[in-house]
Amino acid sequence: MIGEDTKASKRRGATSMRATAIESNPLVDVAAHLFLEDIADKQGAAGMNTYLMSLATSLARSMPEEEYDTWEDFLDALRAGDSILSTFETIFTPTDHCVVTTVNPFERGWLEYTKRIGKYSRIHYDVAEYYNATVKPGAIDTTCIIHQTFRNAAAERIRVGGRRVKCAQIATIHSDGTKKVAPDEWLPILLEKAGITRTQLNMFMRNNAIIWCIYPE
Amino acid sequence: MLDVALVSLIQDMSEKAGVEGTIQYWLRVGESLANRMGREAYMGWPSFNVALREGRTAYSIEGKVTALTDLAITDVDGDVVGYIYANEQCVFVPTIIRVRYSVGDVPKADQAVAEEYNNSIRNTAVCNFCVIHQKFREEVARNITVADQPLECYQLANRGFTGETKIAEDYLKKLGINPEYVRSLLRNYSCVYALVMKGARLRGEEVEE
Repeated sequence: MIGEDTKASKRRGATSMRATAIESNPLVDVAAHLFLEDIADKQGAAGMNTYLMSLATSLARSMPEEEYDTWEDFLDALRAGDSILSTFETIFTPTDHCVVTTVNPFERGWLEYTKRIGKYSRIHYDVAEYYNATVKPGAIDTTCIIHQTFRNAAAERIRVGGRRVKCAQIATIHSDGTKKVAPDEWLPILLEKAGITRTQLNMFMRNNAIIWCIYPE
Repeated sequence: MLDVALVSLIQDMSEKAGVEGTIQYWLRVGESLANRMGREAYMGWPSFNVALREGRTAYSIEGKVTALTDLAITDVDGDVVGYIYANEQCVFVPTIIRVRYSVGDVPKADQAVAEEYNNSIRNTAVCNFCVIHQKFREEVARNITVADQPLECYQLANRGFTGETKIAEDYLKKLGINPEYVRSLLRNYSCVYALVMKGARLRGEEVEE
């Protein structure tokens, strides 16, 4: 037990050091947004949507695959930030199948953009509308497309007891306060999979960024 | 996360558009970023250097910038026409570390883009992202006036993630700065550049004449 505590303490220290070392640079974040806008200028909303989805899938495929014996082992890795699904975000798991992302990993970029450049370009919302209409209704801006596509592609790289992991978006709260909840006809099914009620969802939405669920295929 | 995704894209983009294509993309991003940040005007060097220290200039997006006011750049008449500035941390290092811990390694195209930039444009890049932010700095300088004079930016020296360095000896000669001084700055800083009033008659240029 003492050994486990020491191990956990060392792990927390390493995680904290790593977090300090890798705080993103605003120039890189904002430049990435402008690069996406440049793509949109040339390829329009449809082309940009394809580009973003391909970018996110390619990122997930470049990361190592994972396998776990049990769902509990997988949840341990997820909670510790060791899984591909929690590499880029801080999460907690109110149930074994519900995941709450506390801060959107793209928030810093959005804040820096609005601080340094001004109002977020309309194209980011237009492309999200295209995604909602043609792929899946869950995006508020272009970063949601990257994030949700990445998460789905990342889940495909995980096996728990030999079975694939699936994940589904329940709700997103944008940095500007805009909310996007799964369509009414999907919501009861998703809440049941996540093991939370509608009231609990509203409670999580108060001060978190994204609510999603994970389940074995 | 967006920056890591961007890195994963470099390889793909370089394979499809060639490293030259990636460079053209990055130059456009650097230029567009600078131009969308707007213009700035300062009464003189002290007000510019204070604004820089307080994070009010466009250059602040790169992180903490230090104005090395112990070494002013003077023109042939001995008037101060510029200063040297330095970033403690390379803007791309946090992304490289995050790629290291999430994906594994930085794509080979990163160095391929830097090498092509060094061969075809200027020998000052240590990684692909130098292309964006060196262009960004040049464009920002054009958008800033100090005592009604637009500025010009000279990339002097930089140190990459794995310790490799680039020192622009031609610019140092032009500005009349000893390369050893700049080399010693790289012990504590990752990226060193000079901002000089455009059109100033520099000491190094007079020596050349």
